[in-house]
Amino acid sequence: MASASLEIGAEIPSVTKSVTTESILQFESCAIIDRENIHNNEELAKERLGTTYTLASGRMSIAFASESMRRFFGPDVFHHTGSVNLKFLRPVKNGDTITVTGKVSSQRQVDQGTEIVVEILCENQNQDRTAAGIGIAIV
Amino acid sequence: MAEQPLKILDYDKLEIGEELGSYEYVLTQEMLDNYRESINDPDACFPTLAVKHDATALNMVYNDTTGGVNAGNEVEFFNPPVPGKKIRVSGRIADKYLRRDKPYLVIEATAVDEDGNLLERLKTYQMKKPDEVGKKWHPQA
Repeated sequence: MASASLEIGAEIPSVTKSVTTESILQFESCAIIDRENIHNNEELAKERLGTTYTLASGRMSIAFASESMRRFFGPDVFHHTGSVNLKFLRPVKNGDTITVTGKVSSQRQVDQGTEIVVEILCENQNQDRTAAGIGIAIV
Repeated sequence: MAEQPLKILDYDKLEIGEELGSYEYVLTQEMLDNYRESINDPDACFPTLAVKHDATALNMVYNDTTGGVNAGNEVEFFNPPVPGKKIRVSGRIADKYLRRDKPYLVIEATAVDEDGNLLERLKTYQMKKPDEVGKKWHPQA
């Protein structure tokens, strides 16, 4: 677990995930309403996006980044004070391998403790950036 | 949420601040297990991410025939949801704007469990010209 004072530039644990059609569909199956979308229906993806493949939900990358953050701060901290904010920069699809990395970029005192900001990057197997943003936790 | 006919989503008519209503569901252990397996993380605690609270709230009110692409997410975690407990979700239209001539819709949902514990707040930035994805990343299609 992170200490209350962290060095700027400290790295959070890297997480690498294989994205497959099966994992994309399983993620979509967690929904509580049945709905065809660009993640689970190739025809709809073709019609709406003009792609020949379905996309992984951006929320999968949020989940991957959340794992990195949780492993760094610990669940007791991250599950109660954590946040993740990502912009999605390019599609993630079947066959991609996504690696999340991050470094502490700033910290400041807030009422509840020390707010730590982590710059987060998600890259695919070609080192192309698929998402970028920040994660925050209060220690 | 009472069953009502879906309204056709007309981006121009959406109002910032518009409430999307609320809905409830019971989180099951099976949902949690399924989520953990899908992201290969046996310790993940927020299957609510895959339930897509904000998009679900929108889709319970609107028939979105255009669709959209998720351009970004902001999620805040407050308490992990507990399997077996009821989750109540409230959604709203948080914002809409044009950027580089593309329309964006921002939807937001807040989840609370049956004991009143705040669980998660999720915001999604949807770009409402999804064919831009194909033009940019798959131009030969």
